[in-house]
Formats: sequence, C-alpha cells, structure tokens
Amino acid sequence: MTTAFSDEGRLDGARRGDALARWIGHHPVAALVIAVVVIFALWLVLAPWPAGFETLFGKKRLFVNALFNGVTLGGLYFLVASGFTLIFGLMRYVNLAHGSLYLFGGYMGYEAGQWTGSWLFSYVVAFICCAIVGVAMQVLIFRRMEGQDLRQTLVTLGLSIVFSDLMVWVWGGNAIQIDTPDYLAGPVPTPIVVAVRSSGEAVFLQYPLVRLAILAAAIAIGVGMWLALNRTRIGMMIRAGVDDRDMLSVLGYRVQLLFVIVFAFGAGLAGMAGIVGGTFQSISLGEDSNFLLASLVVVIVGGMGSIPGAALGALIIGLSEQIGAVYFQNYATVLAFLIMVIVLAIRPQGLLGKR
Amino acid sequence: MALVQTTGPAPLAIPGEERGGLLSRWVSRHSPILILGVLLIILPAVANSFILDQIVGWALILGMIALSLMFLAGYGGMVSLAQMTVAGVAGYMMAVLGTSSLPAISLFWPWWVAAPLAIAIAVAFGTFAGALSARTEGIYTIMITLALAAAFFYLTLQNWPIFNGFNGFTTIPPPKFFGINWKDPIPLYYMILFFAALSYVAVLYVSRAPFGLALQGVRDNPRRMEAIGYNVTAHRIAAYAFAALIAAVGGILLVWQNNQISPFSVGIDVVINLLVIAIVGGISHPIGPFIGAIIYVILRTFALDALVAVGLDGRRFQTLIGLGFLIIVLFSPDGVIGLWRRFTARMRAAGGSNGR
Amino acid sequence: MSTIAERIAAAGTGNAIELRGVSRYFGALAALTDITLSVRPGERRAVLGSNGAGKTTLLNCVTGDFPPTSGTVRFFGEDVTTLPPHERIRRGLRRTYQISLLFQRLSVRDNVYLACRGVSRGRFSFIRTRASDAIMQSVHDLIALVHLERVTDRLVGELAHGQQRQLEIALALAGAPRFILFDEPAAGLSPNERGDLVAILTALPAHIGYIIIEHDMDVALRVVENVTMMHNGRIFKEGAPHEIEADPEVQQLYLGGGHA
Repeated sequence: MTTAFSDEGRLDGARRGDALARWIGHHPVAALVIAVVVIFALWLVLAPWPAGFETLFGKKRLFVNALFNGVTLGGLYFLVASGFTLIFGLMRYVNLAHGSLYLFGGYMGYEAGQWTGSWLFSYVVAFICCAIVGVAMQVLIFRRMEGQDLRQTLVTLGLSIVFSDLMVWVWGGNAIQIDTPDYLAGPVPTPIVVAVRSSGEAVFLQYPLVRLAILAAAIAIGVGMWLALNRTRIGMMIRAGVDDRDMLSVLGYRVQLLFVIVFAFGAGLAGMAGIVGGTFQSISLGEDSNFLLASLVVVIVGGMGSIPGAALGALIIGLSEQIGAVYFQNYATVLAFLIMVIVLAIRPQGLLGKR
Repeated sequence: MALVQTTGPAPLAIPGEERGGLLSRWVSRHSPILILGVLLIILPAVANSFILDQIVGWALILGMIALSLMFLAGYGGMVSLAQMTVAGVAGYMMAVLGTSSLPAISLFWPWWVAAPLAIAIAVAFGTFAGALSARTEGIYTIMITLALAAAFFYLTLQNWPIFNGFNGFTTIPPPKFFGINWKDPIPLYYMILFFAALSYVAVLYVSRAPFGLALQGVRDNPRRMEAIGYNVTAHRIAAYAFAALIAAVGGILLVWQNNQISPFSVGIDVVINLLVIAIVGGISHPIGPFIGAIIYVILRTFALDALVAVGLDGRRFQTLIGLGFLIIVLFSPDGVIGLWRRFTARMRAAGGSNGR
Repeated sequence: MSTIAERIAAAGTGNAIELRGVSRYFGALAALTDITLSVRPGERRAVLGSNGAGKTTLLNCVTGDFPPTSGTVRFFGEDVTTLPPHERIRRGLRRTYQISLLFQRLSVRDNVYLACRGVSRGRFSFIRTRASDAIMQSVHDLIALVHLERVTDRLVGELAHGQQRQLEIALALAGAPRFILFDEPAAGLSPNERGDLVAILTALPAHIGYIIIEHDMDVALRVVENVTMMHNGRIFKEGAPHEIEADPEVQQLYLGGGHA
C-alpha cells in the first residue's frame, strides 16, 4: 500500500502541469466555478465598487483592509505552521512545544534588537537560538523514544508547560512590541481603488510597508522550501520519508541527521515568526498557545506533512480570521474552527493531504 | 450512600459458607479499593468542609472527567483532549437551562429537566468530536480534539448572547430534593462520591464486557478488528459517547461544586491539565485518573506555600507541574500505577526470597 | 435472453469464490491483471507463485482490505465487490495474516472471544459474558482445536511465534466460517510445528473450503486438491498438485532454484 502512495507522489511532482490539465478535464464544472470565483474576487479587490455593494458589505476600505490583513496574517501562519507540518510529517509526533519556540524566538529577537538596534539581525539571532533549542530537544530527548509517538507528544506537552512558565519568569506577563525599522515604517500607496470622491478623483489604499515586506519574505521562504524539498538531495530524502516511512529505514544512520536538520529548521522558522508576530501585533504570555493552535488548525485544514497544504491552510485561516473579525465579531475565531470541522468531515486527511 | 451497594459493606450481609469462601477471596482481591471506599465513606466524620469539598470532592470530580479520558486513551488508544470541554458544555448548559444569577439568559427550568438535557447536549457534543476524529488514526486525535477544545473556549469567550462572554455564570446551586439541601458540604460530598464511585465501577465493569474488550481490540489492532467482523469507526464513536456521559455528569457536579462557570473553566491550560492528571495517575486502570487528580489538587492547594517555604517563588507552580509530568512520562510511562506495580512486584520478589 | 443467461450464470454457479476480470493497480504498477478464478464450496486450493506474483493482493481483494481497481468479486453467488471487510466476514469469509496481526495486550482467551463475538450479535453489549454462556464454550473449543489450552490466560504478546500462528488460525475459525483464506500460515514455523499445522488444516470440517498461500510446497501440496500458479499478477496454470509438480514450466519458473 505504502509504495503506491510514493509512486503517485512522484508522478505528481514530475507532471504537475499535466495533473492540473487532467484535473480540469475531469472536473469541468468545479474548474469553471473556481475560475469565476477567482475573477469575481479580483474584480472585488481591484475595481471601484458599485453603489449597492457598500450597503451589503460596508465600506470597501474595510473589506480590502481585512483581505490584506488576512493574507499577511496567512504569511505569518505559514512561517509557523510549515515547520510544524514538516516535523509531524517526518517524525510522526505532534510538537506541542512549537508555540513555545515561536514565543521564545520573539523574545530573543526582541532582546537582540534592543542590543544591536538591527531588526534584520534579530531574525538571525531568533533562528539560531530556536534551532539550538530544537536540536537539543531532538538529540537529548526524542531520539531516545523513537517510534513512540504518544510519549514524544506528551514530552513536548510537558516541555511547553515548563517553557511557558519560565518565559513568564524572565520576561513577565506584559506584552512586548517589536518596533518596525524606519526603512519599513509607515504605509505605502497601492494601486487599489477603495473609493471615488465626489470630484471623480480615485482614492487609493494605503497599506503598511512592513506587512507587505514580510508577506513577500514568507512567499520567498515558501518557494525556497518547495524548491529545496523537490530539487535537493536532502529535500528529496525528507519528502520520501514523509510519503513513505519505510524509506527511512533504508537511510540507516542518516535518519537521525535528517531529523535534526528538519527539527532545527522548523524550530528556527517558528523563532523567526515570533519576531514577525511581535512586529505585527505583540508578543506576550498566551501567544504560545494561540500560535500552536493556529498551526494545528492550518495543518489540519491544509493536510499533514504538505508544504503547499500549509500555505493553502494558512491563507484560508488568516483570511477567515480577519474577514470574520470585520463581519461576524461574535464568532470571528470560531469561524476558523468551523472551516476545520467542515474540512475534517469531508476530507479527513486535509485539503492537500495524502492518505 | 450508594457506595454501600457497590463496594462497601453490603456483601457482608450475604450468608452461607460457600458464598463466604467466594466472598473472602473477592474481598482479599479487592482489598485496597475496599479500604479506600470505606475511608471515603467515613471521611465526613473526621474531615472539615474545606477538605471534603475543596480537596477530596474536587479531586473526585476531576478524577471522573479524567476517567472519561482514561477510558478513551487506555482502552481505545484515542487520546482525546475534548473531555474537559464535554464537561464544560454540560456545565454551561446547566447554567443556561437551569438557575444562575443571570435571568436575562438562564431559563430557570427545574433541575430534573435541565440536568438530563444538559447531559444529553454534552454527550451529543462528545459524540460529534468522536465522529470527527474516529476516522483518523493515532496521534491525529490529539490535534483534532485540542483544536475542538480551543474552539469551544473561544466561542464562550466571544459569545455574549448564550455564554455571557468573559464573565460566564455564577450562582448555580445544587438542587434540593428528598428534603435534603444538596448544597450543604456533607450531602454534596456524598453526591460527588456516589457518582465518582458509580463511574469507576461502570468503567471497570465495561472493560471486561464485549464492548470494552472490542474497544481494546481496536486499540491493539484496528485493521484486524475489521477483519473479524467489527465496524471499527462505529465502535470508536460509541466509546466517545460513553466517555462523554461520564464527563458530562462530572461537568454538572463541577458547576454545582464551584458555583460558577466561565471560559477559564474550559481554557487550554485546564484541558491540558486534565491530560496531565490522567497520564500522571496512569491510563492502564480506572483508578489512575483519581490518583492523578488527588495529587494535582493537593499540589494545587499546598504547593504555593511549600515552594515559598523552601525559599522558591510560589508562582513557579506550573513549572513544578510540568517537571513532575515530564519525569513521569520519561521514567514511568504507566504513571503512578506503573510505579506502584513495580514496587509491589519488587516487594513480592523480596518476600519470596526471604521465605526461602 | 443473454441477460437472463447471465443472471443464471451469476447466481447459479454455486461457487464459493468467483473472481471475474479482477485487476488491481498501485499508481502505474499493476499488481493483478484480469484474474478470473472460481473455487467450489468445500474446495481446498493453493495459490502459488514467487514473491511479488500478486498472491497477497489477490487475498486482499477477496476480503475487501482494499478493493479491486476493476472486476467483480462474488462470495457464494453474492456480489461483494463493494462491501466493507466486516460485512464479508459476517457472510462467512475468514482470513489469516502473513504477519501476525493479533491483539498483543489481550489474553489468548480474549483474542478468540473477540473473534467469536465479531460474527455474532451483541458486539456493542455493555453486559459481561458469563462463563456459562454458549459463546465461551465455543471459545474454549477453538483454543483446544489449535492446542493452546495451556496458555489460555497468557497475554498474546508473551507467546512464542508458533503459538501466535496457531492462534491466528483459531481466530479464522471463529463463528461459522464457510471459506477461509490462509496467508502463509507456515511462515517461521519449526518442522514440528509444520506437522501440527498440516494436522489442523486436514482436520477441518469438510464443508469449509480454503485458499492457502504458502511458500513451503511440502505443506501446501499436502493440504489441497487444486493448485493455481501465479506469475507477475496473472494466473498462468491450474491443476491438481501432482500435475503442477510434474509441469516443466512450473519447475523452471518456481520450483527450480528454491526446491532443489
């Protein structure tokens, strides 16, 4: 059975373009619906709204802002969840301390920023600090209980309890805001019309530059990961391990090296995401479980162990939270979970997951 | 009370020599739990109301809710983090349908309508959680149920019309019937003890009934269970429903005992702590969750003072819990029960060699 | 006309197992290609072939562990192609597994009990079964049949390999089996245990037919009436054991190296 999946996986990778054409051939109606929705969404964003729309959806500025916030929040979620999904896909335990790594990275980045005054340098510090913690966890603890996924998950749970309390001890319970560097501060105009003045002059959307920059960075990291997983030897070994556990035994002692690399990378990404989160919002007590949960939901929706799945899930959850906050205040966060429940009911393995 | 019928002195009334032989064997086999039962029954004679309700009563309720987790994890191999949430749903529904300090929301139905309905809604929720996660395997369950628990927490936090948001509900009194005010410490204690003992005995009994055995078969080898004629998914969902029943009763007792419920009764940390309780106690036997619960409650109540007394910061309570949990997971996968079994095995081995 | 003839053919063949044009693909790889096979009730059949010939895939298609990509599977005339495994079990089909898939943390008695309970009513019962219950009697009969009386209360995880294989057979015999699929029952057994296995198989009631997949020809050819040879996912020869043994093509392909 397992060989079948890896076969299909390899086919998938080699002939993605073909697969898309074939999918459209098999589901012409679905493809048409998706195309219409995409075109409608583009029109909704780019064109000025006709009169009736504002009464239905409120001000266009609100809607477009929510949309942009959702996409950029999706970028942040992707940074956290992509490491989480790789760790689960390869090692088969749920890293419940992933949120702690996020928070730890945020704090370390904040400290580094205070010392050096460099926002970019703080990313390096956060990545390295979290990667070191990740390597230590993998080498000292998880290697000793390989294959016992429940016990490993329970260990991550215990660690997350201890970590979060220790971080409260060191940094206190107050929220910390990481300052945006000057060269990224302030809003920039975008070519999107949000309203038309009575004089006929168009008003364009202003959006914070730092959010756009981080979104671009998240996309770059995502594309980079995808290329690394599909084009490099180590990446292909990781993919093979995610698709087919039996492949791992063929690798012998190198499995441990692979595990350490993936854990360090995933932890480091979570740490960098901590700085992003601290710049977007703030870092404080409780954010660790918030981002752990966000990762869980993103990965359940997108599909376990799949990087494109994490991207899709992050986008969906980011959008649902921001649009929910504008249009259904009483149920904003619940909306994301509702999406998760619907996905689970229809496709238990997640949108892009494999069984 | 009813413990008398289940584990207490009632069997002593059975006459006859042959039965006496069976009985003495039965008593000696179950002596630790019988002694514990008798101690719990006579406890109100010696303990004050703080110990009765805030220590033992609370531990018994937490033990019940953790027992529902143990049933799923220990017998079914499904670690569900939604059990505290099931209890929370029952508690919230009790406040919404029954009596509270909020006449704008509460319906003030009598307890004998509100309580069964609240339990039914909570069981429906627990079964739904099971149906969502039963089709996936193993460790995935933890993720899905944790996400569901978080969803309920955020719902109660953000929703004001039904759940009264951040504030939740207060003044949810236990009922009065049979001329007894069950709000008083001693009646409340006996009510809690009755339901805790009942659920303990029920889980123990079901574990050897066809349903429980089949569940253990599903745990060991779901594919083979399919191959010998079982519908594995249906069995898992039914197990969730049974566990939800226990958790729901525990949830109602919890609001009666606490006299309030708020989003922080079903928060992520509470959900996680319940898993900690079950794992620390041990999930291979139904007594484990109760052991874990009493340890947790004692730590929770006295650790603060103890930490300060040895010169540490009392606020490091969570670190203490986390470290204790880590030590158990790393060194005794079967919790305190595992430690106890190892200890008795060693004692027996030592006793055997001494005898010769 | 032809439809009536087809229906009569379908319902009236009286075959226990009837496969028509069964194929199974894994991605681009064909594990089974156009298998047509019928086995009479009570017939004992060996399916032989080298590793990767598709024997276990064939069993999986019959039990429904995974469905065929195309073709139909009939069990005593009924089309079971789309039925889930547990429904087929309830109709009297049984199988054993190549790797022991037993309930490691339960006792031998509980394992056999689960198998007996699985094909009877009361699978969801919350009432414990009394020792005097008829089902407990059949549990002990089955344990005796596979010579495991002395380890009835031991946990399966503690049993020796040979004992686990014997228990495997007991599970397949639970309830009222009409047809059993044995997947390499002799794998890993000592010569003595193989003798026991042959004795257990030949002592089965005459109305129970089976298909056995086995590498050990000495075991396989002693317990069957007919043999089907498979190669590369296709059937290439059928016949009585002595015909197969004498067939030069078979000897070259299969018996050649290993049997010398």
